[in-house]
Amino acid sequence: MAFTEQAYKGTTTPFKALAHKEFSDRLKNRWVAAITVGFALLTIVVAYFGSAASGVVSFRNMGATVASLTSLVVYFIPMLALTLGGGVIADERDRHTLDLYLSAPITAAEFILGKYAGLAVSLAVPSLLGFSIPGLILLVKSGFGSFGSYVVFVVNSVALGMVFLSISFLTSVMFYERSKVIGFTVLVWLFFTIVYDLGLVGMLIVTKGAMTPAMFVVMLLLNPVDVYRILNFTTIGEYSVLMGLSSVDIPGFIRPSVLWAVTAMWITAPLLASYYLFKKRYMA
Amino acid sequence: MLKFERVTKYYGEIKAVEEVSFELLEGEMFGLAGPNGSGKSTLLKIMLGLIRPTEGQILVNGVQLKDKDWREFRGIIGYMPERVSFYDNLTGIETLELFASIKGGSLNNIKDIIQRLLTSDVLARKVGTYSKGMRQRLNLAQALLNDPSLLVLDEPTSGLDPIGTRLLYDILDAVRQRKKLTVVLSSHMLAEVEEKVNRVGIMKSGILKAVGTLDELYRGLNLPLKLIIIVTEGGSQGEVLWEILKNEGAVNITYGSGQLTAELPVENKLKMLASILEQKDQFVDFTLRQPSLEEVFFGIH
Repeated sequence: MAFTEQAYKGTTTPFKALAHKEFSDRLKNRWVAAITVGFALLTIVVAYFGSAASGVVSFRNMGATVASLTSLVVYFIPMLALTLGGGVIADERDRHTLDLYLSAPITAAEFILGKYAGLAVSLAVPSLLGFSIPGLILLVKSGFGSFGSYVVFVVNSVALGMVFLSISFLTSVMFYERSKVIGFTVLVWLFFTIVYDLGLVGMLIVTKGAMTPAMFVVMLLLNPVDVYRILNFTTIGEYSVLMGLSSVDIPGFIRPSVLWAVTAMWITAPLLASYYLFKKRYMA
Repeated sequence: MLKFERVTKYYGEIKAVEEVSFELLEGEMFGLAGPNGSGKSTLLKIMLGLIRPTEGQILVNGVQLKDKDWREFRGIIGYMPERVSFYDNLTGIETLELFASIKGGSLNNIKDIIQRLLTSDVLARKVGTYSKGMRQRLNLAQALLNDPSLLVLDEPTSGLDPIGTRLLYDILDAVRQRKKLTVVLSSHMLAEVEEKVNRVGIMKSGILKAVGTLDELYRGLNLPLKLIIIVTEGGSQGEVLWEILKNEGAVNITYGSGQLTAELPVENKLKMLASILEQKDQFVDFTLRQPSLEEVFFGIH
């Protein structure tokens, strides 16, 4: 079609334009497809070969699959989310497009939320598809037992991604240099997935019982990875396998609703902080 | 239109811009010249609302810009940064559609300009395949998307070939004929600035050393005019004219290859020309040139 005959698309809001760009970028570069396939394969392998150590190779029930998947997903999803959002400001600065955005009549909220929405969908879609499609196979093979826990696992995994995406936005806004963003991202991942729990267990030993089990569980809520774990294990009724907590009394207030609320707080707090910091640093 | 009053910007202990005061007049093309590190970029960023001045104030049509006003003000600004690589995975059209949405503009508003800058084939291609010149053309198109009243151009012809450079200025002229567009042109290409702008500001070490038309600037600096006379062959070899020039206060008089050159104080211009014209048989032609922006620039630095 000749250019003169071409009718341009109408414009949309800055929020929608940014969200659409972020998601379509990841669709085009096959990021969404690759992660979907990765999660699906992981689920099938865990579900089918999960009992190989005991000499049995077949699809396990959903509860056991959720337990195994949880222990793996706590490493993968934070890493993916932190990688996805860590460069959100540095990339724009490197391209010199950040000044174009900032010299336009766009608000800090539109910029941060538009970018966040696009990346959140980019992470949520492969999480939902990658875990749900094998979930249907599991449903057929092993029946409806623990189906509810599998649904919670899928939704909770999406939420875990959102949490670390929010943290990655804060990291991205905090540091001007890409190398510092990358370094800090690695530290954040190590801290929440490995160091925090090791430190907590170490503290439990060092304090020789001064820290009550209830306090210990409350401390776990300060780590979104542990909140994710507790929520998944709560639904499959296997507290006993949770980090040696077999003898720990879980406080009565640690209900799923509280855990979801804590997760929601972990999504909103870093995102709000990144919004305020972005506004302070970049919007004159 | 836009007035800077004693605007100062510190980066820690470093004063990037110091007590800059000047006014951009509606519809003018204003040149901003200065070496690297002179504070030009900081001043442009303050103008765009990208950074906040430490001291001083900015007024738009006589009203001081407060924090809450910046967003509305940005709506009337078009900005063409010096280096922008855009997104390699988007086509030219997709890039313009994205920034039209961000800026609240429309591609249909500047359809004719887009057509002149980039062909439909180029627009349909991914920006990753663009040459530097194509990216600059796309850059100009995005700057005009919101039909701005103030257009800030940072080294706009960097990477453009002569055809692209002429096209850029033709488009600016066309837009300025249609509406009162104020243009701020920051460039190291002094000859280009000199040719295009109505007024110029020269920055040095964060200070706006001079602002005005080129004529005002060289008069202010008391820079001499340059006279070149092509001497008649077989005559006095310029000796007669040399004496006249010398007596009238010209300096740096030289003769070579049939040409006499001299520098004249501005105030003696008419008297000296009258004296020379009395010696018509001594020369074939002459040229009187006012100092270039480059000479003004080096006069200040």
